[in-house]
Amino acid sequence: MAKIERSQKLFLKALKEKFAEDPQSEKTVFAREGLKQSARKKEFIEAGKKMEMSRGISMYDPVRCHLGGIPLGQRQLMTYEVSGTGVFVEGDDLHFVNNAAMQQMWDDIRRTIIVNMDLAHQTLQKRLGKEVTPETINEYLHVLNHAMPGAAVVQEHMVETHPGLVDDCYCKVFTGDDEMADDLEPQFVLNIDKLFPAKQAAAMKAAVGKSLWQAVHIPTIVSRTCDGGTTSRWSAMQLGMSFIGAYRMCAGEAAVADLAFAAKHAGVIQMADILPARRARGPNEPGGIKFGNFADMIQTDRKYPNDPARCSLEIVGAGTMLFDQIWLGSYMSGGVGFTQYATAAYTDNILDEYTYYGMDYIKDKYKVNWQNPSEKDRVKPTQEIVNDIATEVTLNAMEQYEQFPTLMEDHFGGSQRAGVIAAASGLSVGIATGNSNAGLNGWYLSMLLHKEGWSRLGFFGYDLQDQCGSTNSLSVRPDEGAVGELRGPNYPNYAMNVGHQGEYAAIVGSAHLGRGDAWSLSPLIKICFSDPSLKFDFAEPRREFAKGAIREFMPAGERSLIIPAR
Amino acid sequence: MAYKPQYGPGTSIVAENRRKYMDPAHKLEKIRDVTDEDLVLIMGHRAPGSAYPTAHPPLAEQQEPACPVRKMVTPTDGAKAGDRVRYIQFADSMFNAPSQPYERTYLEAYRFRGIDPGTLSGRQIIECRERDLEKYAKDLVNTELFDPARCGIRGATVHGHSLRLAEDGMMFDMLQRCILDKKAGVVKYVKNQIGEPLDKEVKVGKPMDEKWLKAHTTIFHSLVGVPFRDDKEYVEYTQRIHSLRTKYGFMPTE
Repeated sequence: MAKIERSQKLFLKALKEKFAEDPQSEKTVFAREGLKQSARKKEFIEAGKKMEMSRGISMYDPVRCHLGGIPLGQRQLMTYEVSGTGVFVEGDDLHFVNNAAMQQMWDDIRRTIIVNMDLAHQTLQKRLGKEVTPETINEYLHVLNHAMPGAAVVQEHMVETHPGLVDDCYCKVFTGDDEMADDLEPQFVLNIDKLFPAKQAAAMKAAVGKSLWQAVHIPTIVSRTCDGGTTSRWSAMQLGMSFIGAYRMCAGEAAVADLAFAAKHAGVIQMADILPARRARGPNEPGGIKFGNFADMIQTDRKYPNDPARCSLEIVGAGTMLFDQIWLGSYMSGGVGFTQYATAAYTDNILDEYTYYGMDYIKDKYKVNWQNPSEKDRVKPTQEIVNDIATEVTLNAMEQYEQFPTLMEDHFGGSQRAGVIAAASGLSVGIATGNSNAGLNGWYLSMLLHKEGWSRLGFFGYDLQDQCGSTNSLSVRPDEGAVGELRGPNYPNYAMNVGHQGEYAAIVGSAHLGRGDAWSLSPLIKICFSDPSLKFDFAEPRREFAKGAIREFMPAGERSLIIPAR
Repeated sequence: MAYKPQYGPGTSIVAENRRKYMDPAHKLEKIRDVTDEDLVLIMGHRAPGSAYPTAHPPLAEQQEPACPVRKMVTPTDGAKAGDRVRYIQFADSMFNAPSQPYERTYLEAYRFRGIDPGTLSGRQIIECRERDLEKYAKDLVNTELFDPARCGIRGATVHGHSLRLAEDGMMFDMLQRCILDKKAGVVKYVKNQIGEPLDKEVKVGKPMDEKWLKAHTTIFHSLVGVPFRDDKEYVEYTQRIHSLRTKYGFMPTE
């Protein structure tokens, strides 16, 4: 390895905004100003008092309750710049409870199901002798978009849902068959040619072929009231009823069972696998999302196809939010602490700076034209090259923390730094080699170097996962490993550690983004989440989080129609 | 051939210090003399002079099962007496504090018996029987392993290791358990390790100067000390370990 010069420091703007002193100063005066430093904390105090009065039970009282009278903010309570957006927000606004965009991102994943139509069409044609044409499919989709939000299609007397509460629910279709796509009403079609760069569109259409798939999004309010397992059930019921209505079937005939089986099992792509009983979660819950599928959900490469680093960083941001803040932080653990870990990876352009250093390095040393994603000029993922890239990116990142003590203070926890340094290393290796397992291997070397350099790493959990990671990053034996694309949050060693899973998903994605692949694991999921009608824009997750933080994001699933006005 | 510990690679002073502190044959340099009573006060587990609370009767008085392991392992004094398991926890500044978390754990494992260390990024805890703890704590505080300004004895709310230093050179402590007496130039604890005010101040001596810290630290640091990059042997050794683990799991052979 050999250090390269990079004059740009993407994090400097944030450091200058956040800290009064020179970012390279080693000393400061700790003013111990407490909560009054933060507008949001002051708002919390006011709101807490108000709520206390209205409910008659004590509530937010940090001056009394925090450490027996010593409030938060004995050092500077920092704001954070959401990376890549230029928007500064309060840390509190990046907790998912306080951020509607974060909630909606997860809602949009959980309420999504992809269902094959070919099986149903075969049932209609072969078993029932019905004609299936573009016209009948259009009619069916019209019926389906009436029924899916919760309206009746067959029954004579039936309760229904208020369209104003379920307006986020709909179904579109996609296919690789241009002729078929042209014959369907544009309102119902995900137009692959328009949504993706030409090369990727062609690859995806070839992969999908003549199959026709439905991308179903059930109402946010339904999946919030129930769970991810509901998505396929709600969807299947309305799909079945729509087929009955659109194709004039008998409601109870045996062929309906075939349609139901296809919609619930045979033709269904869940966003997440069901988890083992000890995790007590159904399908379509975060712990079951394969990293490759998650990488495909994030759509930045459609918009910025020549910047695989940026695309990978967006996967990191979205992934740490979902897997750290929501999955590990709330489903698995409870409490509020995980947000502080997770946001380190998508605030203040710190990981961005380290990753772009890696890009400069692979271009300088290995002549990888990373801004022109292609499988042709990737570097061979030998151990020596993986070690070289990961070592240089890690040493550079450690040196940045050392040279800018405010940067170290910004990422004040070892777990934050470990996740960020290793992520930059893994992404750099992934993009350089186009091999996700090489990227993961780079991550683990980074962890070992970090630990040796500073004689510290993250919290206890890092002792397991990151110190045995070298041994399983190239193992593909059952129970011991899998290629990165097929690993997920419930992979044995990954199931407990904050600051890893979103980054792993991004490392997987980075390999494919570096190669210019159209998808990482599933073309179906990639196409499904390209939909501009989704509430959350999966091409710009960090920008969406920033909008949520400054309260400009409009989510779905609101109940204001059915509650008293405030 | 008898196993001979190597205590780690590296050609730098940081690597040398790490090896030295780990090696029980190296006699740790005594720098200060915090008394037994004062250490008991800082740790806050019992009142100085009071009897050790026990978790079980002394081993001699309780029926021990016939167990070959128990016959092989000589109990520590604390285990013999049935003491509770208590702790001391340190936070160490990344600005050249002499001890750092993993280094603490390694050296304790080589030097002490009957311990349960825990290693995190911002703190390192060692738990053991209470009278053993008090003995070990003396080594951890009175020798070159400790600096009054850059090492903190902190049970909870530990953060400070990664922050800029205060204007007087002290590591940040939200609870201000210890403060620098500017007049005397001495650091004194005014609260115990979990932040309860002490009835009397406990002096732990003068902060060591920057030159001493740089010469005694066990952390690499490109701004205030030795850059990790400059210790090529250390970096290459870490790469080697990683490569061998990648290829051969945890039984690496070449």
